[in-house]
Amino acid sequence: MITLGHYLVVSGMLFALGLAGVIARRNIIIVYMCLEMMLSAANLALVGFSRFHLVNSLPDYTAQSLVFFTITVAAAEVAVGLAIIVALFRTKQSVDVESVTKLQG
Amino acid sequence: MSVFTIEAGLALLGLVLLLVEAFKPDISRRTLGLTAIAGTAFALVLLPFCGAPLPSFMQPWHQLDTLALFYKGFAIVITLLVLWLTLECAPYLTRFTVDGKLAEMFSLPLIVCSGMMWMASARDLVTVFVALELVTVSFYVLVAFARKSAFSLEAGVKYLILGALSTGILVYGIAWIYGATGTMSFEGIGKALANPATSKSTALFGAALILCGLGFKVAAAPFHMWVPDVYQGAPTPVTAFLSVGSKAAGFVVLTRALEAFLATGSIISTEVQAFLLVIGSLTVLLGSLPAMFQTSVKRLLAYSSISHAGYLLLALACSETARFELSSGGIVAFYLATYLPMTVLGFLGLGLMRANGLGEDIKDFTGLAKRNPTLALFMTISFASLAGLPLTAGFIGKLFVFLGLADHGYWGALSCAVIAAAAGFYYYFKTILAMYTTEGVETTALTLSTASKAVAGVLVLIILILGVYPKPLQKVLTASPAVVSAK
Repeated sequence: MITLGHYLVVSGMLFALGLAGVIARRNIIIVYMCLEMMLSAANLALVGFSRFHLVNSLPDYTAQSLVFFTITVAAAEVAVGLAIIVALFRTKQSVDVESVTKLQG
Repeated sequence: MSVFTIEAGLALLGLVLLLVEAFKPDISRRTLGLTAIAGTAFALVLLPFCGAPLPSFMQPWHQLDTLALFYKGFAIVITLLVLWLTLECAPYLTRFTVDGKLAEMFSLPLIVCSGMMWMASARDLVTVFVALELVTVSFYVLVAFARKSAFSLEAGVKYLILGALSTGILVYGIAWIYGATGTMSFEGIGKALANPATSKSTALFGAALILCGLGFKVAAAPFHMWVPDVYQGAPTPVTAFLSVGSKAAGFVVLTRALEAFLATGSIISTEVQAFLLVIGSLTVLLGSLPAMFQTSVKRLLAYSSISHAGYLLLALACSETARFELSSGGIVAFYLATYLPMTVLGFLGLGLMRANGLGEDIKDFTGLAKRNPTLALFMTISFASLAGLPLTAGFIGKLFVFLGLADHGYWGALSCAVIAAAAGFYYYFKTILAMYTTEGVETTALTLSTASKAVAGVLVLIILILGVYPKPLQKVLTASPAVVSAK
C-alpha cells in the first residue's frame, strides 16, 4: 500500500537533488534542469497531499489546479530562460557559471 | 465597472503594442512609448471609479480592500514613471539592444503592472503564485533586455537562476502549507493554524519555505546576494522598476501571508515572528554595512534597497502596532509610499547622467552641483530622504518602524536598525558631498529636458510634503478594516 509518506519522501528527495544540483553544478543548462526538478518535486507533493485530503470522499482539487498552473509557468520560464541562456552562449561561447562573473564588488 | 477591467485592459494593451511593433516595424518608439504612457495614465484616472464588486465566481480569489486599492495605485504610478524614464533614456538604451529597438520595453511593464495589480488583490496562494510569476518572468526579459551589453546579459542570467530557485522554494512551501492546513486561501490557512489539531512541524516547514521564497523576491538577507549584481547590470529604468515595483509586490504578498501565519491563536506565530526579527535585523546590517565601501552609485542604491527591505521586514514583525492608527501592514504600505518617490528620483538622476554620457561611479558625481545645480539639488533631496533626514519622507517611514520596535521591546532589532541608519547617513552623505566638491572638476554644463525637470520636481514635492505633513496618507491607509485586521 502506497501512503502519503511515500509520495512525500520521493518528493523530498527530488527537491533535495534539485537544490544540490543548483548549488554544485557549473553548467548553467544543468542548473536550469535542476531548477525544473525542484518544481516537479513541489508538483508531486501537491498531488500527493491532494489525493490524501478527501472532501466528500473525493480528492480535493484545489492543489491539483495549482499543479496545472505550475506546469504552465514552468514552460513559460523555460522558454524565456533558454532564450537568455542562448543569448549568453552567443556572446561568451560558454554556458559555464564562471562566464558570468563580471559584476562584482 | 469592476477593477478587473483595468487589469485585463493593461495586459491587453501590452499585447497589442507587442503585435503593432511586430507587424509595423517602422513605427517610432516615441509613438509606442507615449501610447503606453497614455494607457497607464488613463488606468490611473479610472482606478477610483472601479469600486463595483467582481462577479461572484471570482470572489474566492480576488478581494478589493483599501490595501489592495492602494497597491494597485502604487503599481500604476511606478509603471508610469518607469515608462517615462525608459523614453527619456531611450537614445542611450538603444545602443545595447538588437536593431536599436525598444518595443518590449514599453509593452512588458504594462503586463508587469497588470500582474502586480492582480497580486494586490490575491486571496489565495494559487492566485499569488500565478501573479507573482507573471511579474517575475516578465522581469527576466526586462533585466536582460540590453543584451548587447555583457553586464545586462549577465544580470539577466543571475536573476533568472535565482528567481527560478525562489519560485521552486515558494511552490514547495505552498505544497507543505496546503498539506498542513488542507486549503489554499489565506483566510482558511489562518483558521486552520489557529486550530491546535493542525500539525505544527508541517505548518512551520511550509511557512519557513514560503518566507524564504518571498525573501528572495523582496531581497531579504541571506537571500540578497543577487541584488547588487542584478541592479547594477540591468538597464536603469528596469532597476528602478525592480527596486520599487517588484519589492512592493513582494511585500503585499508577505503582508497577506503573515496575516494568515500570525492570525490570533496561530500555533506558529512565535516562531514566524522570531524569524522575521532575525531576518530583518540581518538584512538592515548586510544592506547598510557593505554599502559604505561601494564606489558605484548604482550598486550603492542596490545595497540601500536591501537595507530598506530590512526596515520593512522589521515593521512586519511588529504585528500588533496600533501607533499612528496604522497596523503593521499599514506601516509597510506607508513606508513603500515614501520609498517610491525617493528611489525613483535617485534612479532618475542616474538615468539622466547616463543619458548625458556620464558614468555611474561616485567620482562621476564630483562637481555635479556646478555642472547642473538643479539635478544636484534633486539628487541631494533624494539621498537625504533615503538616509532618513528629518523633514523628508524617509524620516517619517523610519520613525514609524523604530517606534514600533521600541513599543514591542525588540531592543536587539532596534539597535541593528539604528546602526544601519547611521551607516546610511555616512554613505548617502559621502555621495552628496562629492556632488558639491568644486576642486579640479570638469565644468561643462549638463542639459536637462523640461519634462524631466517637471517630473523630478513633482517627486521632490511629494517627498517634502510627506515629510512635513504625512497625515492625509495615514488617513487613507487606516480607512479600511482589512488593514487593521493585519494583527
